[in-house]
Amino acid sequence: MTNINRRDFLKLIGAGSVGTGAGVLYGEVTKQTVELLIPQVIPPEDYSPGIATWYNTTCGQCSAGCGISVRTREGRAKKIEGNPVHPVNQGRLCSMGQAGLNALYNPDRIRRPLKRNAPGGSFTPISWDEALTTLGRRLGNLKIQGKGNQVTLLSDGVRGHLDKLFATFMQELGSDNYLQYDFAFPNALYKANKILFDIDTLPYYDIKNTNYVLSFGADYLGTWLSPVHYSLAYGHLRQGRGKRRGKCVQIEPRMSLTGANADEWIPAKPGTEGLLAMAIANVIISDDHYRGSDIDDWASAVGSYSPSAVSGQTDITESEIKRIANDFIRHRPALAIAGDNIASGTNAVSNILAINALNYLAGNLNKEGGVIFNKKPSLVQSTQQRHASYIDMMGLRDAMSTGQVDTLIVHNTNPVFNLPNSSRFKEALTKVPYKVSLSSFMDETTDLVDLVLPLNTYLESWGDDIPEPGVGFTTATVLQPVVTPIYDTRSSGDIILTLAHQIGGELPVALPWTNMEDYLKAGWKEIYSGQIANSAFNSFDQFWRKALESGVWGENKTCVPDRKNKTKQVQLNNITIAPEFSGDEKDFPFTLLPYISQTFFDGKGANLPWLQELPDPMTSIVYNSWIELNPATAKKLGIKEGDLINVQSKEGSLQAPAFIFPAIRPDVIAIPIGQGHTQYGRYAKNRGVNPINILESIVDDASNALAWSSTRVKISKTGKHIDLVKTSGVTRTLGRQIFDKPGKHS
Amino acid sequence: MAKITDKIKEYTRPGYYEKFDYHWTMSIDLDRCTGCGACVVACQAENNLPIVGEKRFKERREMKWLRIERYWEGEYPNLKLKFLPMLCQQCDQAPCETPCPVAATYHNQDGLNTQIYNRCIGTRTCAVYCPYEVRYFNWFTYTWDEPLEQQLNPDVTVREKGVMEKCTFCVQRIRMAKDKAKDDNRRRVKDGEVTPACVQSCASEAMQFGDLNDPNSKVSKMTKNKRAYHVLEELNTKPSVVYLQKVEKHD
Repeated sequence: MTNINRRDFLKLIGAGSVGTGAGVLYGEVTKQTVELLIPQVIPPEDYSPGIATWYNTTCGQCSAGCGISVRTREGRAKKIEGNPVHPVNQGRLCSMGQAGLNALYNPDRIRRPLKRNAPGGSFTPISWDEALTTLGRRLGNLKIQGKGNQVTLLSDGVRGHLDKLFATFMQELGSDNYLQYDFAFPNALYKANKILFDIDTLPYYDIKNTNYVLSFGADYLGTWLSPVHYSLAYGHLRQGRGKRRGKCVQIEPRMSLTGANADEWIPAKPGTEGLLAMAIANVIISDDHYRGSDIDDWASAVGSYSPSAVSGQTDITESEIKRIANDFIRHRPALAIAGDNIASGTNAVSNILAINALNYLAGNLNKEGGVIFNKKPSLVQSTQQRHASYIDMMGLRDAMSTGQVDTLIVHNTNPVFNLPNSSRFKEALTKVPYKVSLSSFMDETTDLVDLVLPLNTYLESWGDDIPEPGVGFTTATVLQPVVTPIYDTRSSGDIILTLAHQIGGELPVALPWTNMEDYLKAGWKEIYSGQIANSAFNSFDQFWRKALESGVWGENKTCVPDRKNKTKQVQLNNITIAPEFSGDEKDFPFTLLPYISQTFFDGKGANLPWLQELPDPMTSIVYNSWIELNPATAKKLGIKEGDLINVQSKEGSLQAPAFIFPAIRPDVIAIPIGQGHTQYGRYAKNRGVNPINILESIVDDASNALAWSSTRVKISKTGKHIDLVKTSGVTRTLGRQIFDKPGKHS
Repeated sequence: MAKITDKIKEYTRPGYYEKFDYHWTMSIDLDRCTGCGACVVACQAENNLPIVGEKRFKERREMKWLRIERYWEGEYPNLKLKFLPMLCQQCDQAPCETPCPVAATYHNQDGLNTQIYNRCIGTRTCAVYCPYEVRYFNWFTYTWDEPLEQQLNPDVTVREKGVMEKCTFCVQRIRMAKDKAKDDNRRRVKDGEVTPACVQSCASEAMQFGDLNDPNSKVSKMTKNKRAYHVLEELNTKPSVVYLQKVEKHD
């Protein structure tokens, strides 16, 4: 009787009074359960038609950890904006973050758990009960047999309590094999900072207050570490301080978005940026700008790198090197940073060490406008150690192909797409007896597994995060669901906790919580109790409510740099500064520069239609991949825009249309990373090429990271032509008054 | 005689008002703008812009009320790439307003160049007259792949085939702020109370939005900057979008 409304009720009464056929009528009226004038007489919490509700949560599109405010109407997410009180992005948000709604409402989301029928067969939908019982039983048996170590968990770079949960779970299962893998993770930067400054976390690069940014390849406005935060800082650096306008210099073989905005763009020979930094250091020492007690060590370390000796190798003139060095010193506080392509060669760590040394020599450490060291996050341990280097991934590959991995659990990461074909990772993966993927989308890795557990997106999950690089003081953000899950999906935390109870034994003792929300609250109780002394809250509930409201919690103090320079005695004598490349220069005349796309990141964003339709900032191309060539190179080879080019490395080849790009060295070609998916939904599938595929498996020995800027290629025409879809027509102003007041310069 | 001069005065000031109630104005500092494109996506999300697909893009039928134009200067290696966010300039003497046969586009009391969708008959004349090329025509009734339509902003119309559309300065947000001011018994909207989606998202804070009639508003101060200029100023369209020149020189 619960579904009967007033009209039906009257009908019923009428039928009763007539006294005949009541049973038939009753049956008829109760069928009409959808005929309701007001859909929800008692609406859910926070639901009032026509009025928007905003939820503060954390962005999950990249690893910067920005805070977001999501506008919801009638229980649906409508718009994502930056959280104004969040210290990282301060109310602003990049295109990827805003396109998070495309992930939430993506038509290609996996909507229920899937099981593979037979090896190589198709998927069948199953219930959550069946999926989790199957997996739980398998893991439980392995644990009882003492083979817990044969379970491997490979996750994306999760932080905070989800990371802690994963770690506890794997530990209780008896496995040491919990790895994180992200293609764009700056292994080399961490390693170099560890060697030079003995720190485990990334420092805070104070672009906001500096006078001179000397960036070696770090695309800090596009993709590097925390682009929204650095964009805010950049705006302030340019026009936020009255007449004091900071200067930006960018040294990189291909102009990035940051290069386009810099005052000077200097295309040094790829891989020799470390040498250039040494030469700059040499000028600083020889021009008597450094007066530290360890000057003799430095003098001997950089003595052989005089500008005249380095000029030929780097393709930068002697006077230019001297000018940069003097500018760097003159404009103090200045900042030297290294990243992206410069930090991904075979000499990545050496390059960064040399570049970081400039900060030391100019006295830019631990002061405003320089490099400020972050305190260790007190909330949850840093997860940097868990991040797998390329060598670690090769270790996993060997373990998988030799049968040491019985069950592989992949969480939200896509190694099949993000590792080169030469790694043979995919072949090894198929040898694992039982593979499970926790993912929202059918990506290349998920397509190969035996059991698919569909995840909530970050907009439907509980969790927390610690921004990395930090902001100078201890802070943490909350991740809360802004809408109820739209499909039969679950969050990673809930899945792991349910599994723990399923497996039994010590696991439910160590993890007694049944859902992520409770686990999270228990974790945040610790923050609360640590803060009681200076707390304005009467109870944990009050504190938690406030944390959910603002979406972020931070220690109520700003960063005060401790004035002492913490640097180990630097010995730059032993670093291998010369780059190595796969393929010799004669057979393979071009250096291939794959670069992280600003729109698709490492390929994660390719299934979001708004990003596919967002013109690439440098070329305005949409919906495709392209190969960037210098006009001189193109002319020499007779290549025109749109000509399909074959790119051949030692490891393989790919074909994509050419784009004549004015700002790239003639001996370099560049291809954006992100497209070239063979799976991953309708917007990404079979579109463009993935340059990672043809990279050779060479690593930077110091950090064990993949040297993805160190592959040489040769190119040839195929005779075919593809029209590139782009929005820019004429790319020159042709005397039109577009950037100036009329009559000023014409 | 006096009547005639009054009429002339009236008709030589398209906009038809002595003074606007508000004079909504946007300033874009090109020295801050990085060309990242966050504003483009913000606009798409806020204003229910369709996902047109690769085929339509190829036919140059993209729908982007706000786009980033890029212009190269110089030759390798001394190159510069300059970015210019281009959106409807909300001209006070708008070339697009006069030719419309049905007055679907007109100037409102707030100085906004508005587009009435259900009055538009799709002659596309306005797009031809617009020197900034910022009017977009719906050649098709675009659909959203289910369930992407759940994201659509209920405060903004979804346009159909045969209708011209363009940037509105997020008129729905202006309307909301005015309503709020009225509810709070305030006569006017405060500076900073209205931020269009693009301005809100801008990471380098290149964009400012506000009322030019308020001499103390942020945007008023920006327009007095000596770098301030209008794009294609010689056309005398009197745009409401003010650009601030990029600083080229450096010691």
